Amino acid sequence: MSAQSHAAGIHLTDLQKTYNKTPVIPGLTAELAAGEFTVILGPSGCGKSTLLNMIAGLEKVSGGKIMIGSREVQNIAPKDRGLAMVFQNYALYPHMSVADNIGYALKVAGVPKDERTSRIQTAANVVNLGDYLDRRPSELSGGQRQRVAIARAIVREPQVLLFDEPLSNLDAKLRHDMRMELSSLHRRIGATSVFVTHDQVEAMTLADRILILNHGRIQQFDTPHNIYHKPANTFVAGFIGSPPMNLIEAQASNGAVSVGGVRLAATEISGDVTVGIRPEHIKVTESGIPVHVAYREDLGSHSTMVVEMENGQTLRLATQLGEPIRGGEWVHITIPEDKLHFFNAATGDALRSN
Amino acid sequence: MSNRFYRNKWLPLWLASPQLVVLFFFFYLPVFLAFFWSFHLERPFGGGSQFVGWQNFERVLSDPEFWTSLWRTLTYMVVASSTSIICALVLALAADRGIRMSPLARNVLIWPKAVAAASIGVIFLFIFNPFMGILAPLNEMFPGFWNPRINPVHTWIMIYIANIWSAIPFTFIILLTGLQSIPDTLHKAAAIDGAGPWRRLFDIQLPLLTPQLFIVVVLEIADSLSGSFALIDTMSQGGPGGATNLLVYKIYVDGFKAYDLSGAATQTAMLMIVVAAVTAFQYLVVEKRVKYER
Repeated sequence: MSAQSHAAGIHLTDLQKTYNKTPVIPGLTAELAAGEFTVILGPSGCGKSTLLNMIAGLEKVSGGKIMIGSREVQNIAPKDRGLAMVFQNYALYPHMSVADNIGYALKVAGVPKDERTSRIQTAANVVNLGDYLDRRPSELSGGQRQRVAIARAIVREPQVLLFDEPLSNLDAKLRHDMRMELSSLHRRIGATSVFVTHDQVEAMTLADRILILNHGRIQQFDTPHNIYHKPANTFVAGFIGSPPMNLIEAQASNGAVSVGGVRLAATEISGDVTVGIRPEHIKVTESGIPVHVAYREDLGSHSTMVVEMENGQTLRLATQLGEPIRGGEWVHITIPEDKLHFFNAATGDALRSN
Repeated sequence: MSNRFYRNKWLPLWLASPQLVVLFFFFYLPVFLAFFWSFHLERPFGGGSQFVGWQNFERVLSDPEFWTSLWRTLTYMVVASSTSIICALVLALAADRGIRMSPLARNVLIWPKAVAAASIGVIFLFIFNPFMGILAPLNEMFPGFWNPRINPVHTWIMIYIANIWSAIPFTFIILLTGLQSIPDTLHKAAAIDGAGPWRRLFDIQLPLLTPQLFIVVVLEIADSLSGSFALIDTMSQGGPGGATNLLVYKIYVDGFKAYDLSGAATQTAMLMIVVAAVTAFQYLVVEKRVKYER
């Protein structure tokens, strides 16, 4: 099944959603390229599911335009938009067999039985469920159910595939396996994919580009690499990474930025500034800034710590295993100047990222 | 009953006893007596009974009026339960769709549950009164247009409407609960799969509603066989000309008006056998098609 030729880009122009006069999405413009895997990432209540449902046609648009390919779709029914969707709770029809679940859309569309059977078989083989066609959803495990849902979505060879947190009901190991499968599936069928999640690991691993949403506004829409290394504002900086980036209220004057009297770096700016530093970039060294280890967690591959500077400023840091540090100890840390991020203290927007 | 939970062997029985006593006096004892009397000749004012074997059954089964009444009862069973369930289903679907005013309708529709069937009968008798009721103006324009007192078809229409009205609340609530337990994402998934509202009704909603439909069919059918008494008694007394003389009402008349206790008991036994057979058929045959998977 090669749906590469079917893939269509999605253009959102000033898209708005208002519930009872409360704007959930005040006006959103974005361009999702054909065949691209876009992950919409944000905290709960940020409007990401609303956005997906509007693209799907499951929720009415309050204003603006949605284009799929060259068609304006915001006022047409979900079934006529050429898209398929995978839901968080699978949304399988419990009274139908796996084959009937996968083939329901074809049946509704009036596809002849022979063609239907072969397309169901092909789609089921793609997700390795070829031997389960006669089962009922209740006889399948969570991972298998989600695969049925994926087969049901790809059987129609849609231009656009929508995923609404499809992995959040699975356990950690299964989630990892499904992530790999989804990634290779996307490379094979090539449909434009939009994937909603609150899990940054899913976003970082699956996405060609990540659209980070907060309060219905795009915070950053960029590749995973740029999202991580060049966060556009303090929200993105604090949302991505585990543990998240340290954001420190600092003062810049006389060509240097410092926090509570401790000099961090040379700078041309002056006044209040928010300085960001990722926990894994802070090094424990022989000499440097003395800190008190308030809390330490050993995670096997690495350990994370919360340390406190003499002026009371706390920092999170992550070290490679092997640092023989115990909680309560005093150690020295070095903050590399070239790893610092600078944000406008008032607006949170990035000033200069190294 | 597991004795691991109840150490004392008699405690479970003791706890169940109020229920068992009520069941015994108001259910098992009358059933037993009905069967007992159907094999005996009973004196109407008490004072001994005489075993007569199958004679009561021979007498009842050779009476054409019994067969007419039984046939009438079965017709009523089918029409009354299907009309009331279909009306309740339509209302439940409308309420489930969240049509305007549906929260209010959901509330108002439960009220008839609180009204006794006899009261409903009296109220509808008044509503459909040919001289004072809602159709009286039509009677003035076209004399004889509506008269449930002499036209059996009109009488039946009146009884069915009263029955639907009294049966809706319970059935409606059960069906609405069933519809609301169908996850919203199934509707969304089906909508994306291309199914419109009607297609979803037949492919998704009704199949998933079969457990609730089954239970209301069982209850409504059982109710239509016995619960019609109050409506018949208040609205038509079996008339006009015996047209609405259902078995349950005939039993009452034979037993308490004609003092044929043995004949009434025999017909009661027959009616119970019919109810048991219909219910058994539903559980053994119909329930196989119910989809309990969730």
